[in-house]
Amino acid sequence: MSEIAVRVSNLGKRFQLGLAKSGDFRENFGRRLKHLVGKTVPGEEFWALKDISFEIKEGQAVGIIGKNGAGKSTLLKILSRITEPTKGRIEILGRVSSLLEVGTGFHPELTGRENIFLNGTILGMSRSEVKSKFEEIVDFSGIEEFIDTPVKRYSSGMSVRLAFSVAAHLEPEVMIIDEVLAVGDADFQKKCIGKMSEVTSSGRTIIFVSHNMGAVQSLCDMGILIKDGLIASMGDVQDCIHDYFKNSYLDSSEIPLLERTDRKGSGEVKLDKVELLVDGAKSNILKTGADIRFRFWLKKNSSVSINHLKLDVAINGSYNEKVSWCTTDHESGPEDFSGSRFIDLMIPKFPLNQGRYSLTLFLMVNGGISDWIKEAFYFDVESGDFYENGMVVEKNKAVMLFDYKMEFGNS
Amino acid sequence: MQKEKTVVDARKPTSTYNLKEIIKYKDLFLVLAWRDIRVRYAQTFLGLFWAVLQPLFTLLIFTLIFGKALKVDTEGLPYAVFALAGMSAWSYFAFVLAQSGLSIVGSQEMIKKIYFPRLVIPLSKAMAGFIDFLVSIAFLIILMIIYQVPLTIQILFFPLFFLVNVLTSLGIGIWTSALTIRFRDLQHVIPFVVQIGLYATPIAYPTSLIPENYQMLYYLNPMVGIVESYRYSLLGLDPPGTMGLVSMGIGILVFFFGLFYFRKVERTMADIV
Repeated sequence: MSEIAVRVSNLGKRFQLGLAKSGDFRENFGRRLKHLVGKTVPGEEFWALKDISFEIKEGQAVGIIGKNGAGKSTLLKILSRITEPTKGRIEILGRVSSLLEVGTGFHPELTGRENIFLNGTILGMSRSEVKSKFEEIVDFSGIEEFIDTPVKRYSSGMSVRLAFSVAAHLEPEVMIIDEVLAVGDADFQKKCIGKMSEVTSSGRTIIFVSHNMGAVQSLCDMGILIKDGLIASMGDVQDCIHDYFKNSYLDSSEIPLLERTDRKGSGEVKLDKVELLVDGAKSNILKTGADIRFRFWLKKNSSVSINHLKLDVAINGSYNEKVSWCTTDHESGPEDFSGSRFIDLMIPKFPLNQGRYSLTLFLMVNGGISDWIKEAFYFDVESGDFYENGMVVEKNKAVMLFDYKMEFGNS
Repeated sequence: MQKEKTVVDARKPTSTYNLKEIIKYKDLFLVLAWRDIRVRYAQTFLGLFWAVLQPLFTLLIFTLIFGKALKVDTEGLPYAVFALAGMSAWSYFAFVLAQSGLSIVGSQEMIKKIYFPRLVIPLSKAMAGFIDFLVSIAFLIILMIIYQVPLTIQILFFPLFFLVNVLTSLGIGIWTSALTIRFRDLQHVIPFVVQIGLYATPIAYPTSLIPENYQMLYYLNPMVGIVESYRYSLLGLDPPGTMGLVSMGIGILVFFFGLFYFRKVERTMADIV
């Protein structure tokens, strides 16, 4: 019989924009003075969290997902008690530990050994607990030889490994994790994921925030999608991830490409719009094996003359994994132009299987970044008759298809 | 096994400290204090010897200027002993004010990322001050032996006065640490206060040097009462008068006020630091 480990009801958090930041005497006195003469000070308010309620059962691993600025981090900060809510209530059963960033409190002058004790107690362990796990922590980090060297002489990779090892050996009932997987090399990351699934399977409750949907999917069984300080969807982690992508798909496809502001670059030449042509007709959907053409419209906004122009197109999968990449780099560039132009990307027999994909576009003009838009275009692929023999290979069998030959030999 | 339950309710903000929790974090307090002491003398040649050198030189200068040149009245005591008794009380105060006062802003990275009772930070910062204090008391004892200043039964009161000294210093340190979050100006004010305070407290000279009509104002400084009580208990001088006691009372009030203010700010410290 599992109990409720975390109960959050009607949680809200308000920030005062501009005001809350540490001011100086002058600012503060000015405000007080205005307040005295009855003028209300137009301090802008911002509700990072509006009304959040949910329950997490003991032993559940919950992934909290949402775009940047949706309120995820504020929620974690309240759950880990770093800050207090403006309204609502939280109840947590058991010891809580949070890993909002590994290595907090590490002191460069102290040795690895001393820092293990320092960091361990900062994270809420007692000295005797640290002592009893000391060997394990050092083993896991793999830096035994340097344990009595000051941390300032460590490489950044080494200190991160040591820090994660300390954090990984906490044994709280509820563990709150924010993006720690973004550290270390691939091998160490694998080790970390392994350690975390071990933690989950040992019956502890995990609250996990990450943009790495692959990690969320493999670690969590429940998902909470947060949008603008509210819960947009909650339940099975697959559904939540799906909603997340649907959400971001809708968000970005609603806005014409030219009006999107989440782009980088000088803007000398901008990407105007993207079209997907399937059998000559515009579409957002295609079948595996179809001959397709992406048409990227460019618009020149400045008088700069173009000597060299290059477009990179990255095709990403629904967990933002990088699937493929194309570039105009080895093509001879266009003549200088004004106004609009397009670049076509033709892909015969589209090889990717069913799923949602996005294009990230990167445009360089005369050697400088001119326009760079992440997730500029979304399209859906349905399973199709790639081999033109009536055989459709389902998604769970293959991510991509290619022409092949299999032969029976006779020995 | 009974699991602890944590409840945070925005409608019922707690304005008191959770003593049980602070005790739970005593290891963190000890480790942080130890870190500060360790780091303070890391990679220095003279290490702990610095704790001796600093008061030694100040004392030397005071003895030359106030003792030899100005010949201030020390109620019959050798000047060095007279001044050092006051200096040991003041140095502890100055140390705690400087260390604790800036401690919260200095630890903002930690505060923004991890929960723990924030009071642990200014408290642990104050710990390293005990080392310097012990050094200057040891130094005082040596001087008293050299100059053959006898101890009196009044030494029994010393622990009490030392406690007032600690509470006053902590109070102002804790209070400033919380204030500095909003008013970074204090970072510049603190060294200034420490410098002026050295002369606005009867360390180099006796209180009797202050004109009668300014004495009321003078005793508002809690360190005045504390320095007098040090001289009473350690050197056998007259006990502090009513005003001296009021002065110490102010110190204790400051301690409770500092605690109260700190708790008020603690709740949103991570948002504004």
